Amino acid sequence: MDILTLNLLDALLDAFSAAVCAALVWFMIKPYRFTGERRYVGLPLAFSFLTASYILGFVSYFESIPTVDVIRWLSLFSQSYAFAFLAVTYYFSNKQEEKIQLPLNIFYAAILSAIAISYIVIFVPPSFAWPDFKTGDDYMRAFNIICLSYVAIHTLRSHASKPDAKTIWIPLSYILFDFTQYSFLIWSLDSSFSAFVGAHFLRIAGLLIFLYVAYQTFYKSKEEYPKKVIE
Amino acid sequence: MKRIPRRDKLKIYGDILRILYSEAREEKIVLTRVQLKTNVPFDRLKIYLTELEDLGLIQQEPKLGLTEKGKQYLADYEKVLDFMKRMGLTYS
Repeated sequence: MDILTLNLLDALLDAFSAAVCAALVWFMIKPYRFTGERRYVGLPLAFSFLTASYILGFVSYFESIPTVDVIRWLSLFSQSYAFAFLAVTYYFSNKQEEKIQLPLNIFYAAILSAIAISYIVIFVPPSFAWPDFKTGDDYMRAFNIICLSYVAIHTLRSHASKPDAKTIWIPLSYILFDFTQYSFLIWSLDSSFSAFVGAHFLRIAGLLIFLYVAYQTFYKSKEEYPKKVIE
Repeated sequence: MKRIPRRDKLKIYGDILRILYSEAREEKIVLTRVQLKTNVPFDRLKIYLTELEDLGLIQQEPKLGLTEKGKQYLADYEKVLDFMKRMGLTYS
């Protein structure tokens, strides 16, 4: 497969991923809207950043855009912020709300500063001496793998503590996301075609699992709500 | 001794609604039983019931029970909790 076809495939799958992610934001905001607890706000934020990242990834396909390099950097940063938000949401999820106010405030202040600084540095000249995009991409992928591994382990432990067929899908989805980042890293290091295709396939599979779980819970559940049985 | 995690108001409301819903087939809902199951002091339970009635989620007359709005709220509440459980998130 030639490089043009690969780029087109990349762009189309980015567009599809962005659409699925945008739909997921609608579901991910529900825990925050219902409970009003700030620790869950990271979930919709994470999927919003992912959506932005995939949209920017799609836009960067059009090489003729003068700011295409800036767009690629923005896409890279947005994806890493998404996974950072996910990791922090899961870290704080099993802690008492009243005990996490200060660390949560510190985290949000830190990440918002990081977002502002990184975007300003990208947009406003004179820019720092950035490493070339490929090196930056490798570092970001490594960071993403760390965040996603933490989330995958957290959700797996949560599933293992109370095994239920319904709760295995999301850990699986995070593991697929994790392997996506790993495959992109392999693709970046040795230009392996199978790693590139595999990464896209794994990412789409992961996103579709998220969508399936959300849709099942809110629209197609076989369970009757409110539940009749009281434990 | 195992510490019982502190529940916020939303969770207490949810627990009360769930118990009232499951007790609906009883001829008369006994408040003491609701109090025992929700594990809140009786005087506070009365306050919560008044608040839930003001929100239109329950009715106290002629028989204590959930309104249609209350049933819908409980269904939404359980769906969100179910979603959070599937997502591997803890709501304590």
